[in-house]
Amino acid sequence: MTGRSVGIDVGGTYTDLASIDAEGRVEARKVLSTPADQSGGVVAALDALGAAPASLERVVHGTTIATNMLLERTGARVILCATEGAVDLLDLRRQQRAALYDLARQHPAPLVPPDLRVSVPERVEPQGETRALSPEDADAAAKRALALKPEIIAVALLHSYLDPRHEEAVEKAVHASNKSMDVVRSSVVLPEVREYERTATTVAEAYLRPGVARYLARLGEQLAARGAPPLAVLTSSGGMRTGPDAATSAAALALSGPAGGVVGAAYVARLAGFSDALTIDIGGTSADAGLILEGEPIIESGGAVAGVPIALPRVLVETVSAGGGSLGWVDDGGALRVGPRSAGAVPGPAAFGRGGIEATVTDAHVVLGNVRHARMSGGVTLDVAAAQVAVARLGERLGADPERTARAMIASADAAMARALRRVSVERGADPRRSVLVAFGGGGPLHGCALAEHLGMRTVLVPPFAGVLSALGLAIAAERRESLASVMRRLSELDPGDTRRLAHSLSGRPDAKYTHRWWARARYEGQGHELEIPFEPGDTGAEIVARFAEMHDRRYGFTLAREVEVISARHAASGAARSATLARHGQAAWGAAMEDTGAQLDVVVRGRAIISLPDATLLVADGWTARSLPIGGWLVERDE
Amino acid sequence: MSGAEFDPLALEVMAHAFAAIAEEMGAVLVRGALSPNIRERRDSSAALFDVEGRMIAQAAHIPVHLGAMPEAVSAVRACRPRPRDVFLLNDPYHGGSHLPDLTLVEAIAIEGRPAGFGAVRAHHADVGGMSPGSMPQGATELVQEGLVLPPVRLVREGILDEEMLALVVANVRTPDERRGDLRAQLAACAAGVAGLRALLAREGAARVAAAGEALLDYTERRARAAIAQIGERRGRAQDALEGDGVSDDPVTIAIEASVRDGKLHFDFTGTAPQVRGNVNCPLAVTRAAAAFVLRTLLDDDVPTNDGIARALVIEAPEGSAVNARWPAAVAAGNVEMSQRIADTMFAALADAGLEVPAQGQGTMNNITFGGAGWTFYETLGGGQGASARGDGPDAVHVGMSDTRNTPIEALEWAYPLRIDEYAVRRGTGGAGHRRGGDGVLRRYRVLEPCTLTLLTERRKHGPAGAMGGASGAVGRNRLNDRELPAKCRVELKSGDVVTIETPGGGGWGAPSSA
Repeated sequence: MTGRSVGIDVGGTYTDLASIDAEGRVEARKVLSTPADQSGGVVAALDALGAAPASLERVVHGTTIATNMLLERTGARVILCATEGAVDLLDLRRQQRAALYDLARQHPAPLVPPDLRVSVPERVEPQGETRALSPEDADAAAKRALALKPEIIAVALLHSYLDPRHEEAVEKAVHASNKSMDVVRSSVVLPEVREYERTATTVAEAYLRPGVARYLARLGEQLAARGAPPLAVLTSSGGMRTGPDAATSAAALALSGPAGGVVGAAYVARLAGFSDALTIDIGGTSADAGLILEGEPIIESGGAVAGVPIALPRVLVETVSAGGGSLGWVDDGGALRVGPRSAGAVPGPAAFGRGGIEATVTDAHVVLGNVRHARMSGGVTLDVAAAQVAVARLGERLGADPERTARAMIASADAAMARALRRVSVERGADPRRSVLVAFGGGGPLHGCALAEHLGMRTVLVPPFAGVLSALGLAIAAERRESLASVMRRLSELDPGDTRRLAHSLSGRPDAKYTHRWWARARYEGQGHELEIPFEPGDTGAEIVARFAEMHDRRYGFTLAREVEVISARHAASGAARSATLARHGQAAWGAAMEDTGAQLDVVVRGRAIISLPDATLLVADGWTARSLPIGGWLVERDE
Repeated sequence: MSGAEFDPLALEVMAHAFAAIAEEMGAVLVRGALSPNIRERRDSSAALFDVEGRMIAQAAHIPVHLGAMPEAVSAVRACRPRPRDVFLLNDPYHGGSHLPDLTLVEAIAIEGRPAGFGAVRAHHADVGGMSPGSMPQGATELVQEGLVLPPVRLVREGILDEEMLALVVANVRTPDERRGDLRAQLAACAAGVAGLRALLAREGAARVAAAGEALLDYTERRARAAIAQIGERRGRAQDALEGDGVSDDPVTIAIEASVRDGKLHFDFTGTAPQVRGNVNCPLAVTRAAAAFVLRTLLDDDVPTNDGIARALVIEAPEGSAVNARWPAAVAAGNVEMSQRIADTMFAALADAGLEVPAQGQGTMNNITFGGAGWTFYETLGGGQGASARGDGPDAVHVGMSDTRNTPIEALEWAYPLRIDEYAVRRGTGGAGHRRGGDGVLRRYRVLEPCTLTLLTERRKHGPAGAMGGASGAVGRNRLNDRELPAKCRVELKSGDVVTIETPGGGGWGAPSSA
């Protein structure tokens, strides 16, 4: 590697940049985001780095563009072609209501309304085709779809993961009439059993694809004009993909942002010698909890973004509405509450002096002196008096002084975040007490010790570049290509030849440039959800069954004398990850101000203490001791 | 320290802590359970109780379990539990709901001292009785519906009673699956013990006890604050189930709802006496329906605990269909009577002048196909009632259920059944200023001979509209071109087509003339 790898992560308030130069040294920048067109912030961050464009080898982007299009419903006009008798799947969903007790609440409207759907007279059943699709009928369906003036067409037919020919016939018929019309087929996007999730994911891909392509092209041109290399993006599963590939896997970008943080956390945890970790990334409006097992982020299929199910592999992240901007309030039962409402970037916390007057978690930290230095990014100067007024006003309603109010606000936010951390770990059979907590984001290092106490954890890792770790994750992320194929067979029936054929059907001839990994998505017969079991070409079915049983036992505490079935197989080819030489550089005085600028340092700090980090503050709680790490950052451990 | 003195600034922290324990118990159960009904449809719940048997937190996935477990804990307390005993029960007349709901209650002891109770309820796919699935049509006494378990010790002071377990599983059709699900329930109880132990270690026993007390008071305050906003008022409503599975005679539910003394009262005087068929329910199910109705009037963030029940008063004549006595059969009471109770409560509140939504489909549309060596059970969503806030949602479970559907492709792989059509029944929601939600059509084709059992409602009278809105369309059941009754059992031959159309929701307000 000769050039720089740059990661740029767009958040609601800040756009973060991390750059790894040829020697592996890391630099960070933070600029204000430009929500109207987020490419503005990306370019500004790059300008702030000031590196010669020729020195850039790659620019990896963590983008919220897909997420925003789903939230704001600003995607393409999609026409959906579906099996006759099953054109309403998007309305039927899984028949659960939007809220258990709010009877008026509606699910978000489907991305394709009923009048933009075309029914296709065909049928495949588990035993094979039972109603042929004639060329005339395929042509008629294509013409009806085109007459509805689509920007793009989605085709999702029943059991197409078994037999994709009818979907292919519809695509062919569309192209016979209109060669340039893009067609998205469900047997390509997600060839896996379960029609609702497959259809919804296919429609999401179609809905997002034109807009994502336009955005990436526009940003790519801006970067090219500066002489920068072609743009790459991070997918929800934590892999890097280059521009053209990214534009045809638009739905895989829906959770691009949070994935970068967990990738960065896993990297730093490995460097610090930890294999199992919980991660907490605390930002302005929300906190993301993640899980790392055996050095790797947990990747699962499924999840929904803005009410749209996207059943593609993604780095597991659970988001809670608790962050620095979460507002404190008193409810009609007289209790102090924190969140889910947030002051957001504007007006923001009272302490930021941008017009906020209500007390936020950040204001509570300011009142307690946890955040004290005025050196904030984006030209923010800390207004301590404003924070005190805001917290005092809230406290008056509870008959409590500002200090007690502030402590209680922070404890409330901690409790909500601890609950999310418990969920991601316990539901997957991971014991928090045997894991380290990686605390990052602007607010992570402030809450790390308290969260660890909630969860019975003894060690908190505060990574170097804690305030921009997601961007660092982007900069180091390996290129990753993924594929999926339907299987629908009992594992016990598979011999080494079968697993070899299956593996190679997914990966093609394995390219030695990449690391190849394969997983079987398997379950006991009759179960409704799958575990992902790693396998190698040439494994026997029995070997995979044994691995399945071991994982089932670890996660759920039992195994069964039952057949194991594979519904699909997944493959990932990963390039080499960029490595950063994380180290402390340069000399700086370490004084009573306890400011860690990333310079060389070898100190032990007993709590309670407050250490200033670039773009974050580390609060070492009473009963905890922090040691500076040679790679930068801190290891904070509970005293015996 | 008493609850009254507990710091209101620390209440949310403790609310999260208690809720996290219940949530964790629920997660361990759902993840560990074997049967799709618990694992996928999540017909289960978990709750944490204090030493006095008051429910402090509950993780409920479907409303029919809401607040229905205090009876189970109180039945167990009457058996003088010793520390680390785990009781098993399903008797509707001793703390249960209907027989398939097996409930475990653990007497939690921390360092040898009683510290509270953990309770875990799950709907098992079979508990014996006259028909597979233990949801028989036409049962007239409880013992026909399955194995009846009053509170019995499954675990004695920490030791599993293998003989008791053997007795239980010897009486069901799928013993291995029952063992697996019960094991998951025991694991969920253990998660509750571990969670409570950690909380006590962190916060201290006195503080945890005071926090529990304070949380109940707080929830009661929030519930009463919402009720106070309604103001004193009174209303009546009457509705009926369209037969009890044995006869087609209507089963009347009469309710007077009133708001007074800061509480919500439901009086069932005038409700039909318990009937021969199995649509009766024990008082616990009636309470769950009331807790659900009150819950819909509260903000989403109010904690789920016994504080909600404190704001409710229920008068239900003993021996009536909503407070049945042994030996009445009850299997369908949990699924269909519970729906009609909730519907009628809403109607009584509407009569009192409250703005509640129009009626939703009011049935779970219970459908069972059973052939040689297989049984498939599912329930179908329908139209939700419209409200002042908007049109009623289409094609969802309403009221006391919220289980997921079975994907067409998964169903076709696993059973000799095909789905020829699955669609929204457009235009079946009642007309109105706000339109009722549309029902669902699902057409099944059977590939081999089997038996169909239907347990459905709202096939004669559509869900009522509100404020001048029209009723939703009634549901229909058909075999090929022939209409089928709401509740029936029919033998099918290969190639038969069964079409179920579920009801639409009622409309809200007079339709505009435009």
